[in-house]
Amino acid sequence: MQQHSIMLFFMLLVGIGTIFFVSIFMSSLKADNDSTGVKNLLKKRFWFTLILIVVLGIFAAATLPKSPYFTYANETPSTVIHVGTMQFSFFLSTKPIDPKSPSGETIEIPHDQLVEFRVTSFDVNHGFAVYDPSMRLITQVQAMPGYVNNLRYKFTEPGEYHIFCLEFCGTGHPVMQTTFKVI
Amino acid sequence: MNIDSLKLKKISALWIIVILVLFIASIVLGILMRLNQGKVIEQSPLTFYTNMTTHGLTMIGIWFAAGMVAVNYLLQRYVKTSYGVNLFAFILTVIGVVMLWVTTYAGKFSTGWTFLYPLPFRDLGSESWSTPLFLISLTILGVGWLVWSVSLMAQIFKKYTLAQAFAWQHFKSNPTVETPPFILITTVTLVGVIASLIAAVIVIVLYFAEYFSHGDFVNDALLMKNLIYFFGHTIANEMLYLGLAVIYEIFGEVSDRPKWKMTWYISLAWNCAMVFILTAFFHHLYMDFVQPQALQIVGQLASYLASIPSAAVTVFSIVAAVYGVKVRWSIVNLLFFLGVAGWVIGGLGAVIDATISNNIMLHNTLWVPAHFHTYNAMGNVLFSIGFFYWFSTQYVDKLVLSKLTKYTLTLLIVGGIGFLMAFYVAGANSIPRRYSTYPVELTSGPYLAKVGALFATIYLIAILIFFYNIAKRCFVILSASSR
Repeated sequence: MQQHSIMLFFMLLVGIGTIFFVSIFMSSLKADNDSTGVKNLLKKRFWFTLILIVVLGIFAAATLPKSPYFTYANETPSTVIHVGTMQFSFFLSTKPIDPKSPSGETIEIPHDQLVEFRVTSFDVNHGFAVYDPSMRLITQVQAMPGYVNNLRYKFTEPGEYHIFCLEFCGTGHPVMQTTFKVI
Repeated sequence: MNIDSLKLKKISALWIIVILVLFIASIVLGILMRLNQGKVIEQSPLTFYTNMTTHGLTMIGIWFAAGMVAVNYLLQRYVKTSYGVNLFAFILTVIGVVMLWVTTYAGKFSTGWTFLYPLPFRDLGSESWSTPLFLISLTILGVGWLVWSVSLMAQIFKKYTLAQAFAWQHFKSNPTVETPPFILITTVTLVGVIASLIAAVIVIVLYFAEYFSHGDFVNDALLMKNLIYFFGHTIANEMLYLGLAVIYEIFGEVSDRPKWKMTWYISLAWNCAMVFILTAFFHHLYMDFVQPQALQIVGQLASYLASIPSAAVTVFSIVAAVYGVKVRWSIVNLLFFLGVAGWVIGGLGAVIDATISNNIMLHNTLWVPAHFHTYNAMGNVLFSIGFFYWFSTQYVDKLVLSKLTKYTLTLLIVGGIGFLMAFYVAGANSIPRRYSTYPVELTSGPYLAKVGALFATIYLIAILIFFYNIAKRCFVILSASSR
């Protein structure tokens, strides 16, 4: 439910922002010719800036270590899945994929074990986005020609997972998808 | 009326009419895309993606041009600008946009505005000539805008030294020369604009090199992606700054409030903003894990840092100019004030998405168009329309808040909030962006697309009323004589 938590947090900020701007606007409508507005502007600006820097600093310190580049970085994956992409197909295989005649296989991944997807593209940029059985986007990485992006993940719930392309790759972009099972 | 002044007014009026016509056409394309996603109409994927490519490129182009038109017009208060270069940029922009639309509609070029390498070489369904024509149209637009930007910068440096243009003398007490905030913001913004256009030139040259090498030269996809986003992200943000320069210059006078004076913190904020905005583009590549990790972290930190000078100086100054004081409200400063609120809210959505651990769940979902439409459609567009109103009403009639204006603003706010909320909710529901139709598994996609189309139509009605009011006054300016 992380996306919905983000949405709730955002709506809270939007609500505060809206009340703030509306009240500022209303204060000007109520003001008369003798009203002087904000006093000690520089002092208030200093405190506002300091609070903003501290809040953003806390956010950065709390979120940067959770970046996907660092999660599971010191663990050894028990399963490696090679992922080849091309307009408009995914190929998933436990063995390296030949770009000249790519082929995939049915994939089953054990739950609660670390898996590494080695994702590349044989033509244009694609996306490799994993959706859980409730169709929530849980992780993703880009598939780029000439490069291999390694994505690590530990699936906790068994079931059927969907993969969608999340980088625009041409007219067949929305039909580019596949599935795999977590057992 | 001075003949030079009249010529500048006429070319500005012409720009405004063309920009608004292209804006309306591009909104219609956006609504058609949402209707197709909502299954209300049925377009082929190729038609959808040519519409998407046209919509994105046209919107970026016109709102960048709108900012430049406003800055060029107001810069005349401080330095002499070249009418010839302004006209040159207008002609090249019109030619470039016409070629772009020929490329997309006759050539079926449909790579999206990002034209990520090597998609233009593997764009299925498009004509073979569309890729070189697309690159030529970008070259024409780039040349026009680069000459225009460099010309404005050169005029600033004729009057101000380098240190004065960047307001560095304000770091000391009692500076002998005061740099107007408008000059500082314009200089800082033009640095970013010129840097982004140079990146575009490099991208175009690299594309042409591969096109004409017949396989002997192959580009690097990661380098091309970095260059394209440096260009695209930077120009999209700098056009917002062009709008802010206008607000700094005329918010005070239209509100019957004192004009903002340069201070050390305004100087510091905008010099910092110049640096942060040039490095924040790395957040577009978070999901490319082969990008060096240090650059990914720089992307998040620069995105966070970029918000500090904006909030602490610009937003704070506008709030302080309004809070508890009598302001002469008109459509112009209301649009500016509303635009600042939209810019802040869109910025909050952007900071959330620029956090790497959130981006992995939001990247290329509809959360992305949600936040950039917030600070464009409800931010930057309002800055520019505010300027258009101010410009068109200067010598024609007075700025008054009529009932119709209040109703139009209500339509704009209701329509804007509705169509943006449909994007945000879809983003939180993991609905991908750039899908012509949604897979059956993504059940909320079509429903939210219909809601988005409905509210975008309400937004369009407000824009049509604005267009009528502004264009009729611009036609009066176009028909005015110098006698």
